[in-house]
Amino acid sequence: MEQSFLRLDRCRMRRLYQGFSIPFLALFLFATYTTCATAAEPSDKVDIQALVRHVDNLWRGTTSHADMTMTVKTRHYQRKLTLEAWSRGMENSLVVIQAPIKDRGIATLKVGENIWNYLPKINRVTKIPPSMMSGSWMGSHFTNDDLVKENTFEADYNVSLTFSGMRDGQKIYEITALPKENAAVVWGKVVMDVIQSSLTPTRADYYDEDGKLIRRMTFSDFKKVDGKIVPMIMKLQPEDKPTESTVLEYNKIEFNVSVPQSFFSLQSLKRRH
Amino acid sequence: MKTPSPEFQPTHANHGSGFFRMLLFISWRNIWRNPIRSLLTVSALSGSLVMLILYSALLEGMSDQMVSYATDISTGKLQIHRKAYLDDQDLYATLSWQTLNQLEKQNPELKFAPRLYAAGLASSKQNSTGVLIEAVDPKQENQVTHLLEHLRNGKTDLSMAPIKNDTQDEINPEGYGVLVGTQLAKNLQLTLGSELILMTQAADGSIGNALYRVTGILSPFDPNFDRMGVLMSVPAYQDLMAMQNGMHEVAIKTPEDADLTKIQQHLLQQLAQISTQQLKSGDTLKNLGGKFVVETWKQLNPSVASMLSLSRSMLLIIGVIVVSLAALGMINTLMMAIHERTHEFGILLSIGLKRWAILVMILLESLYLAVLSAIIGAVVGGGIALRFEHHGIDFSSQLPDGYDWAGVVFEPIMKGSISMDQIWQAVILMLVLTVIASLIPALRTLKLNTAEAIR
Repeated sequence: MEQSFLRLDRCRMRRLYQGFSIPFLALFLFATYTTCATAAEPSDKVDIQALVRHVDNLWRGTTSHADMTMTVKTRHYQRKLTLEAWSRGMENSLVVIQAPIKDRGIATLKVGENIWNYLPKINRVTKIPPSMMSGSWMGSHFTNDDLVKENTFEADYNVSLTFSGMRDGQKIYEITALPKENAAVVWGKVVMDVIQSSLTPTRADYYDEDGKLIRRMTFSDFKKVDGKIVPMIMKLQPEDKPTESTVLEYNKIEFNVSVPQSFFSLQSLKRRH
Repeated sequence: MKTPSPEFQPTHANHGSGFFRMLLFISWRNIWRNPIRSLLTVSALSGSLVMLILYSALLEGMSDQMVSYATDISTGKLQIHRKAYLDDQDLYATLSWQTLNQLEKQNPELKFAPRLYAAGLASSKQNSTGVLIEAVDPKQENQVTHLLEHLRNGKTDLSMAPIKNDTQDEINPEGYGVLVGTQLAKNLQLTLGSELILMTQAADGSIGNALYRVTGILSPFDPNFDRMGVLMSVPAYQDLMAMQNGMHEVAIKTPEDADLTKIQQHLLQQLAQISTQQLKSGDTLKNLGGKFVVETWKQLNPSVASMLSLSRSMLLIIGVIVVSLAALGMINTLMMAIHERTHEFGILLSIGLKRWAILVMILLESLYLAVLSAIIGAVVGGGIALRFEHHGIDFSSQLPDGYDWAGVVFEPIMKGSISMDQIWQAVILMLVLTVIASLIPALRTLKLNTAEAIR
């Protein structure tokens, strides 16, 4: 093994966890890569606190814009949604359905821990209450919580390197994240494979508190965007329903676009239509 | 103990009925020798009987209310579901409309009400919360339950109409009328005429959303529905959920005196036939949502059913305690009487009256007291209980929403319910207990020593 756990660049680790913590919109994930890559300092002795702060500040400035297709397969229906999404840092994002026609214009705005939906048919904005956060987002296997909870890994999990070497023909790091005591998290354990060369995740397994595998996320079709290698396809597979899945595919993604803070507001949510 | 002299026996045997009549007469006179004491005993006994009857009336009233809440308000006498719907509220585990038609045709004596359910997100201008959406067919529902009449405010209007609102919409929106639970109305600050937004995942995976107008607020009948229930019409549900082909629940009303388990078995047989037909046409049971399940209201509300049987045995236990206490007074009276009349008994014995005759006489005295008490107690108790049945005890100033017990919401007016049966049962319980109690002092006369007694 060429790199021991201790010798692994700490900043890289941190960046990775931030990345893994994003169970949903890879958008945020990419934002993480773009920014943290610039902060990478291959050194064993890094002031982690300062580094995290630095990285956090960098995220705040990062924006993205993407077109994607979401395919939801369940026992009772199969749906293909075309989505357009914007993000600004980890805090703000807006996703608008472009197709099918029936759902066109339905938008989800996330600001911090809050989610609102805009419903064009009735021209109303509704806020998702805390009790509904575990509900399905737009009929997919993602929950509303997946949208807002992406930030808590770094604060809420203890992460360790559990494997390093070849798997499926690629050199990977396997990283296991266990929730910290008193952390308000959904999962009991998250295990993730990351390609060593590009720091791109290939697989993430989510376990419940009893150690049972609940769902698996796989990443594929890696492409170079803005100098970073990113997966263009993310597939979410609930373990108890092997025939069901949600696949999120990026048709186009760009970083560092100009999206003002005011774009992510209720006013603009309504005004857009 | 002395054995009676043989020469007296034929006399008594010959005039048996006359002798008994004499005993009846003597004991009747005896109880009026000390009228105050007798009346006190009678009042204690009749008082306990009144209590017993009132208690029984109250308990019966609560039981009635329980049964009526358990059946008339929303459950119905029987319900049909698919197994998967019962297990995890599977939206797709439905009975087809065709199945309902078939059942209606086969069972003209039963009334059926289809219902649909879904979970959703409700928002008002002020707030939003997760809700349980229930859809009914008003016409059929009214034949089975009083659900739609169980209104606190407003009226049952589930039709499509324009929504009056204060926001500036380009077009005045229209919406179906909905009824909401009291607590939900409070939480979302809904009043009559308010606009309500519902958003949910429709059956085809799209995002169902629509505007509704609140036309009525339902009185509490089920704690869950009260907190998160939204009731709409079947067409409104079908529009929202993009789901035309079925229902999740069928509530059934049976004739009053029908045997529920028999009907249950009968329905199960009919449904099994329908099921086989469906399976023949190529559907799998898993796709359809599992087997049909028919349940009686007792199975649907096991807590209410066990509450009912509990209250029956509670009534018996409390009845025994109350009457036993009063019977102690009876024992006391008879003890005193026997003590006082020792001399008299001695004389009776020495002129040749049998010991068992004295025993019978004393028992007759206590029976007179008991019967007198029973008449007074039954009349007074029955009268008060009847008043109770009509007016009840009104707690509505303290508990405007009623109270919630064993998962059943009770009205704030506590009403009694009385029948001849209950009065009879109480009277018989009291008669038996008092006569048994009076045996204790009466048996003492058997031990009387004649020589000592006349001294």
